[in-house]
Amino acid sequence: MKMSSLAIGQYIPGSSPLHKMDPRSKILAMATVVTCLFLIKSGWGYLAMAAMLLAGILVSKIGLKFIIKSMRSLLVIMAFTFLLHVFMTEGTVIFKLGPLTATYEGMRQGALMVIRLVLLIIATSLVTLTTSPLTLTDGLEKLLKPLSAIGFPAHELAMMMTIALRFIPTLVEETDKIMKAQMARGADFSSGNLIKRAKAMLPVLIPLFVSAFRRADELALAMEARCYRGGKGRTRLRNLAFTLNDLLILPIVAASITVAVLA
Amino acid sequence: MKLDTRKLTRAAAIAAIYVASCLALAPISYGSIQVRVAEAMTLLPMIWPEAVPGLAIGALIANLLGPVGAVDVIFGTIATIIAALVTLKYKWKTTGYAAPIVLNGIIVGGYLPFVYGMPEVTLWGFNLTVEASMLAVAAGEAVAVLLLGIPLLNLLKKVGIERK
Repeated sequence: MKMSSLAIGQYIPGSSPLHKMDPRSKILAMATVVTCLFLIKSGWGYLAMAAMLLAGILVSKIGLKFIIKSMRSLLVIMAFTFLLHVFMTEGTVIFKLGPLTATYEGMRQGALMVIRLVLLIIATSLVTLTTSPLTLTDGLEKLLKPLSAIGFPAHELAMMMTIALRFIPTLVEETDKIMKAQMARGADFSSGNLIKRAKAMLPVLIPLFVSAFRRADELALAMEARCYRGGKGRTRLRNLAFTLNDLLILPIVAASITVAVLA
Repeated sequence: MKLDTRKLTRAAAIAAIYVASCLALAPISYGSIQVRVAEAMTLLPMIWPEAVPGLAIGALIANLLGPVGAVDVIFGTIATIIAALVTLKYKWKTTGYAAPIVLNGIIVGGYLPFVYGMPEVTLWGFNLTVEASMLAVAAGEAVAVLLLGIPLLNLLKKVGIERK
């Protein structure tokens, strides 16, 4: 297993208007589009949303292949959903397969549902492909900031998320190392059924915890030595700011709401 | 719970381990029929209260990287938080062990067919799609929690890093 080559997240750096947009705008736009996708009932509505998301892909200058790649893992479930609709909906019969009858209505409904799932994936991928996880965290912190008035630990959670994102590549590498070390001692990770393979991960998880906790304690010490005292009085190297680019979300939000209401 | 710097970094470490093990075993970590090895960690609030935010953030990042996207991020994370809080409250009790299995089964298993747009298939009054999906998620969760989570908890206590 080659894990060290694994990139964290799907972020593809770029300089498109979508990349430069403030993460807060992107999160809000994505939330609107996703909600609207669930409200739309007609094929025309999906077509309109598809056109808008396609425009988004073109603007972002991200190759279609990356979008398609993020869909591959759901192919089986898409096929299953489609077939379930085809054979389980009552209506005009197209053909019979033993006890199962395929209907025209089922085919139509199945296709619409698969299209909706595809659009959902595109809408969310457009955000994660054009925003680095760290920027996304900053955006989330700013969006959740008002909640700290009622005691919600927005800063602490964002700080944890930032540290976790920093730790992940190190720990993935560490996992690789520990697995190799255990393999040298005779551990077997690649044979047996799902349950046996899952259990084989125990001798990997324990050393991983020990080393991750050592790193965490060292980091806490280093942070306190540098006078970390929570979110109060923290300054930033890069401050988030809305720019003209962010006006782009206005047509996106307006269009999706219109489509959701009309179609 | 008061978070000092050390608890904060430890929670971050727990989140990172969660994501790292999801990524290492990606093909079996997402979807209706999933065994997330990382879910073995859902019992950790029993020994570390800071594991509650840690697991929440771990689930948030893992779902952000997963294929289902936004819906999984919101509801999957909420399911994880609720389960972690129940486990924290009912330490070493059956309810505490069962919480991640039952709650994830109901919440995650409940919304997945809706996200996938599966039709409702009813048989003798049961909604088969939703119930099958809940059972599938709960079963995967049970494998992770019972076969992996309990030994993990015992071994961590034996290694003795839980109280330092």
